[in-house]
Amino acid sequence: MRFEGKTAVVTGGSRGIGRACVARLANEGAQVALIYHSNQQAAESLVAELQSAPGKVRALQADVRDLQRAHQLIDPLFEEWGHIDVLVNSAGIVRDGLLGAMTAEQWREVIETNLGGAFSYCHAVTQPMMMMRRGSIVNLSSTSAEFASRGQVNYAASKGGIDGLTRALAKELAPRNIRVNAVAPGMIETDMSQVVRGIAGDQIKKAIPLKRFGKPEEIAAVVAFLASDEAAYLTGQVLRVDGGLSLGGY
Amino acid sequence: MPTKDEVFQKIQTALVDALGVDEEDVKPEATLVGDLGAESIDFLDIVFRLEKAFDIKIPRGELFPEDILTDSKYVQDGKVTEHGLSELRQRMPFANLDEFSKNPVVQDFGNLLTVADMCRFVEGKVEVTD
Repeated sequence: MRFEGKTAVVTGGSRGIGRACVARLANEGAQVALIYHSNQQAAESLVAELQSAPGKVRALQADVRDLQRAHQLIDPLFEEWGHIDVLVNSAGIVRDGLLGAMTAEQWREVIETNLGGAFSYCHAVTQPMMMMRRGSIVNLSSTSAEFASRGQVNYAASKGGIDGLTRALAKELAPRNIRVNAVAPGMIETDMSQVVRGIAGDQIKKAIPLKRFGKPEEIAAVVAFLASDEAAYLTGQVLRVDGGLSLGGY
Repeated sequence: MPTKDEVFQKIQTALVDALGVDEEDVKPEATLVGDLGAESIDFLDIVFRLEKAFDIKIPRGELFPEDILTDSKYVQDGKVTEHGLSELRQRMPFANLDEFSKNPVVQDFGNLLTVADMCRFVEGKVEVTD
């Protein structure tokens, strides 16, 4: 098993892509701490579901925007585990709307959760990973960062920020054998995309060469690859996993 | 309560681990940048290791004042201003800034800090016996 003896922290781990990442890593042997915000029931159901997985799973509550709270969770985990091998920053929200009608709160919440949350947890794991001279950070970006959709200026900006954070941090931490990459999913079957798929699903499918939406497990598979030693020479990259959506053309 | 020797030994271990240098290279008079080859990421690593070794908290910028050296309030045309030098003296009472002050080129600052300075810094934060 690729992650036997390894440890992982997954933010946004109670649902969607994060949930699939927790399951994938635990089933491949990792001890996993999933960070959830408000959906305690979903978090606990996942812990129960994975009780017989090769890796142990625990759920910890936090608002990912809170840097101090990130350290309060990560520091004791490092003490207990002795090492933190993988961080997956999957916590993310949408607050869609045209910019001219967007409130400051809609803008701030999305930037602070999606981008600020990644900052908080990257900050918190830097010391453990530097001390151990190894680690892999995988950030969840989105094809929205590069391929624009109306009504998602805040979301697109936050994910564009994730791409920049990923590259700059990869450069900073490479001398310590810590890799930082991102996965940019296209349209995936999660609660977050439910409304958009409901409104424009058929139109979007037509634009996807593989003619279907992606599944959270398919994104988790790529996250697991990037987190694993199989990707030992890969850092600073943003991998699009979108069924070909970003190919454009005819 | 550690002795001054014990403080030096722990700092020596931290620098060997952070910089990948040999123990015999880590002498009191060795400069972190010039002699031991430290870069910016190394400074962060060193701070983390000192915090763990001595069970102390080192606020960012307290040992390595990157914030002063990159602030246009304190640096002009690549040199630290009088105002900047005053800030550095206040922030770094454990270091001797006299030579640097004669020609305070920012690029040369890295050659200032020695292992002995780091020992004095830690001795200022923990109680030591002779």
